[in-house]
Amino acid sequence: MQLSLQQVMPIPLRDKLTQRPSGIWRQDLVLQPQEYVFIQAPSGTGKTTLIHILYNLRQDYEGTIKWGADDVKKVSKEQLSSLRTNNISIIFQDMRLFPELTAWENLEIKRALTNTITPQTVEDWLARLGIKDKKNSLAHTLSYGEQQRVSIIRALLQPFNWLLMDEPFSHLDKANTQKACALIKEVVTANNAGLLLADLDEPHDFPYTKTIQL
Amino acid sequence: MREHVALLRKLLLSSNRKSRLGAALLALCIGTTLLLLSVMIWWNFNELLHGKSDSDSLGSTFLTVSKRVTDDNMGKPGATIFTPQEIEDITKAPQVQDAGMLISNHFPVYASLNDKLGFATEMFLEAVPDRFIDKKPDGWNWQPGNTQVPVILSAEFLNLYNYGFALSRGLPQLSQSTVKTISLDLKISYGNNAQHYAAHVTGFSDRISSVLVPESFITYGNKVYGDNAPSTPSRLILKVQDASSKQFTDYLARHDYVTNNEQLRWSKVRAIVAVVSTSTGVLAILLMGIGTLVFILFIELTISKAQQSLTLLLQLGVSPRYLSRFMLRRFLPMVLAMVGLSMCIAIAAQAAASYWAQDQNLQLTLLPGWPVWAAMGVSVLLLVGLVRRSVVGAIEG
Repeated sequence: MQLSLQQVMPIPLRDKLTQRPSGIWRQDLVLQPQEYVFIQAPSGTGKTTLIHILYNLRQDYEGTIKWGADDVKKVSKEQLSSLRTNNISIIFQDMRLFPELTAWENLEIKRALTNTITPQTVEDWLARLGIKDKKNSLAHTLSYGEQQRVSIIRALLQPFNWLLMDEPFSHLDKANTQKACALIKEVVTANNAGLLLADLDEPHDFPYTKTIQL
Repeated sequence: MREHVALLRKLLLSSNRKSRLGAALLALCIGTTLLLLSVMIWWNFNELLHGKSDSDSLGSTFLTVSKRVTDDNMGKPGATIFTPQEIEDITKAPQVQDAGMLISNHFPVYASLNDKLGFATEMFLEAVPDRFIDKKPDGWNWQPGNTQVPVILSAEFLNLYNYGFALSRGLPQLSQSTVKTISLDLKISYGNNAQHYAAHVTGFSDRISSVLVPESFITYGNKVYGDNAPSTPSRLILKVQDASSKQFTDYLARHDYVTNNEQLRWSKVRAIVAVVSTSTGVLAILLMGIGTLVFILFIELTISKAQQSLTLLLQLGVSPRYLSRFMLRRFLPMVLAMVGLSMCIAIAAQAAASYWAQDQNLQLTLLPGWPVWAAMGVSVLLLVGLVRRSVVGAIEG
């Protein structure tokens, strides 16, 4: 699935963003399937805005964004839910776990939607990222680093063509970041998918095909 | 899948307080029950008052009217006879749906029981169009040449005999079925000749205080044995929509017509019942509206409390339709259970009313009438529609 952006500009940031050059805002851009795209941007240049616009969480922008042939502003709610379940996955910067559920329940609620990953695999991934002992802890009792790792695993529990990541390792040390990158690369490859990662300036361990300044 | 549903329940419904849910359901149940009961009350009274039951025991819509006999007109022959214009006029009177003439005999009639009892009397006969007879018995017809004449006797006449005449004279009291077995000899004078007919009481009327024979017999008798004068009724029988209507009673008073006051009294009761059942209905609709509102607000509060979880579930790709169905599966069975409970209460109330009515010599069906079932159906459709709209509106936007 191709991701394309045509002259996109978030309306609330228009004044601020038009004053600096950008490889994304007000540009025509096509991201081919299976590309590894790194969006490099300093703070306050609209990384999270871009990820949210791409994931269709907000529509306060000018221009057009297409997932394949679909203009994301025009897809129905049911279509959107289907695309989010089968085509586009996301790791939020702010994790967005259900605080009243355990780490395992947070994963299960996503896993059961498509049932493409077995519970045993989930157990293995928890072990690989070093949080297996936290599986029955309530999400709100986990540290940010632990929450971030749960959030990463959750994003991998569905089939996808694109994985969108917004500062996905901001609370992880180098060793844990490497483990997480390895897992993500493995699953992205297994899905024949592409990834788009927006971060400050850390290049991480991904074989990027494109780096774009925001 | 079961685990997924359990997780959704934990996320979306854990804020439900059982006491609040109970109160919302109670409000809904009370509203629906009152609505069904008020429809039931309205329908039952309707059945008693306008129903097809033969009994006239409650607020008959049939009245017999005659002209008042006053000191002025008591000596004047024909003064209490209705003219064709007056009959025409009364059929157009307010509330009057139908009018029929009570035609009486213009020939002498002597009735005797048999020689042994030695009971013999002069008597009168009357006839009304068949459509005004409350309990038309089998074989209610007469054709020239028939020697048997069916008779309908006022039930009141038999009461007068049983509780007045028989007791005072030491005569045996007679049941309706016994009276029906007795054959009366009717002697009709015809100049110097007399014609005999065997009269059988075939039925009793609560509606008309008279001795009724088929209209064809009176017509034939008046033509052959009488003066063959045109039918001049002194009493009319009216079918009235609402006898307690002021326009109708004013009409009677204006023309100095008199009727059965007892029936008018029942009509007033009927009017009061109509007002009471209408106001109960309005109150019930109001209460059901409030009950529904409380329940809908409870659903919206539940969804509103779970809004954060709902938003995140939608962001994770859970289908809005799936979430709506999940919520509806939670709330719709409650709505149906409450309406079902209300219907059970209505059925029990109807059965109780039916037994009570039997004791009062009235007839009510054991199960609620169709309007109650229709009201239940409408309530279900309305509630399901409102709940669905509320849930789908809140989740699917």
